[in-house]
Amino acid sequence: MIRFEKVTKRYPGPGRPALDQVTLDIDKGEFVYLVGTSGSGKSTALRLVLRELRPTTGRVHVAGKEINRMAGWKVPRLRREIGTVFQDFRLLPNKTVTENVAFAQQVIGKSRRDIAKVVPETLELVGLKDKGDRMPDELSGGEQQRVAIARAFVNRPMILIADEPTGNLDPQTSVGIMNLLGDINATGTTVVMATHDHGIVDQFTKRVIELDHGKVVRDEASGSYGFQH
Amino acid sequence: MQLRYVFTELRTGLRRNLSMHLAVILTLFVSLSLAGIGILVQREATVARDSLGDELKILVNLCTDDDPSHSPNCASGEVTADQRQRIEKEIEDSDEVASSTFQSKEEGYQRAYDQAKRSNTQAAFEGPDPVVTVERWPAAYWVTLKTPEHADGIISALEGLDGVSVIKDQRKALGQIFGIMTVLKYGSWIGAGFLLFAALLQVTNTIRLAALARRREIAIMRLVGASTLYIALPFLLEALVAAIVGVALAAGVLAAFQHWGVEKALADHVEFLPWVDWGDYTQALFGLFPPGIVLLGPALTLIPTLLLTRKYVKV
Ligand SMILES: Nc1ncnc2c1ncn2[C@@H]1O[C@H](COP(=O)(O)OP(=O)(O)O)[C@@H](O)[C@H]1O
Ligand SMILES: [Mg+2]
Repeated sequence: MIRFEKVTKRYPGPGRPALDQVTLDIDKGEFVYLVGTSGSGKSTALRLVLRELRPTTGRVHVAGKEINRMAGWKVPRLRREIGTVFQDFRLLPNKTVTENVAFAQQVIGKSRRDIAKVVPETLELVGLKDKGDRMPDELSGGEQQRVAIARAFVNRPMILIADEPTGNLDPQTSVGIMNLLGDINATGTTVVMATHDHGIVDQFTKRVIELDHGKVVRDEASGSYGFQH
Repeated sequence: MQLRYVFTELRTGLRRNLSMHLAVILTLFVSLSLAGIGILVQREATVARDSLGDELKILVNLCTDDDPSHSPNCASGEVTADQRQRIEKEIEDSDEVASSTFQSKEEGYQRAYDQAKRSNTQAAFEGPDPVVTVERWPAAYWVTLKTPEHADGIISALEGLDGVSVIKDQRKALGQIFGIMTVLKYGSWIGAGFLLFAALLQVTNTIRLAALARRREIAIMRLVGASTLYIALPFLLEALVAAIVGVALAAGVLAAFQHWGVEKALADHVEFLPWVDWGDYTQALFGLFPPGIVLLGPALTLIPTLLLTRKYVKV
């Protein structure tokens, strides 16, 4: 589903590369943690998958396509296959919960009928059935993150990317979010989650890929966060 | 494609930047009006040249049977082939003349008839017993001078020749008229140019602000895979609406100018010149070269919008 072949990403300016000869392979339906200290290159790897960035050298394959050589006009189609969640939720503050989720469908041209059907279904899935008419600032952090997950999942993408989704949440709320991501993974969606939350990684045991200074230093099928941290 | 979002955005966008849009529309409106007036003046110069010749041309009318000039040159009636040869030789030998063309009775008649129809005064050409006929219309030479200042030699040489009825020499009057038209034309185009540049800067600013106001939405649209065109559409439509309003206002001003300025005022008082008509007005609106305001307005707002949104909205 996602394959990196000797990917190096160098940002403009001096210093070592953000990613250094990274090779990894994530299968369809997997749940993978990308761990490592701040600055180790996790977000850069995720942005390469979205083709927000292009590698300096090496190749990135997503869903069988070599996306770094993809024509610009095809990128929107690629992104429709990838849902994305961030630490800071990124909801539109002037839209209700329902409107925020529907927005992701409207702007890719889904019909009104589809939207009217799928949005409530998705809100129910994330446990916000009764909060569709709320504004984002009337919700708790955990609920806002659920709205963001609903928005990322509403188009039923093949891949869900989450960049520190529990970074702003307390441990108990984080557990709820992890259960939700687990449910989404159980539908067959590949989930890649960047995190440096030890508790979560040790509690919900999954495949762990650890980055350090842009290099893969560990790739364990069923790992813990690692004792060195 | 589901365009509800686009139209909602268009409405909020127009409302959010109302003062900016008004500034764009007003600037565009005034500059397009000026550009249109420039085009009309240019058309006027063409119309006037077609009918009167320009400041380099003099018209040598030849005698007809029963010539209205009663000139002694016309004692023998309709100009003869021998007389024409003499006249042609005189024109060819003159060093004040650059070139000349012969205009037959039929050609001259047709040209006068077309012009009369243009200004709706063709009555004299029509009816069972028309005043103006091909027989009564003189054949003529159009003589083009090398410089508008030097024509005395050729005029005095031709004046005495048998077969020459009248020489129409309107160099001075025409020179002044065309001078004024040239000043008007370039004046309005230069004014229009400056204002169009101002409109361009305003469009650029409007887009910058609109992109800033929408940056959250744009970021999410890119993330969930909206196409670049879809993201740019509200911007393009806003620009198009501004252009359409600007063009409509300018078209109204030009129509008022044509109706009250040209037809009700100038054409009634200055009869020796033919005037631009609604066909020329249509050219000022839809013409390709120089581009009419219907082309100019949208081009000036849409092209910078396309270029800028490519920058702000790039996937
Ligand atoms: N836009 C950028 N321009 C320059 N350097 C960047 C940029 N984004 C990230 N970096 C650098 O790349 C390295 C990896 O960053 P990042 O991928 O954000 O790591 P992480 O998400 O693991 O914290 C860091 O050294 C960071 O400073
Ligand atoms: Mg990061």
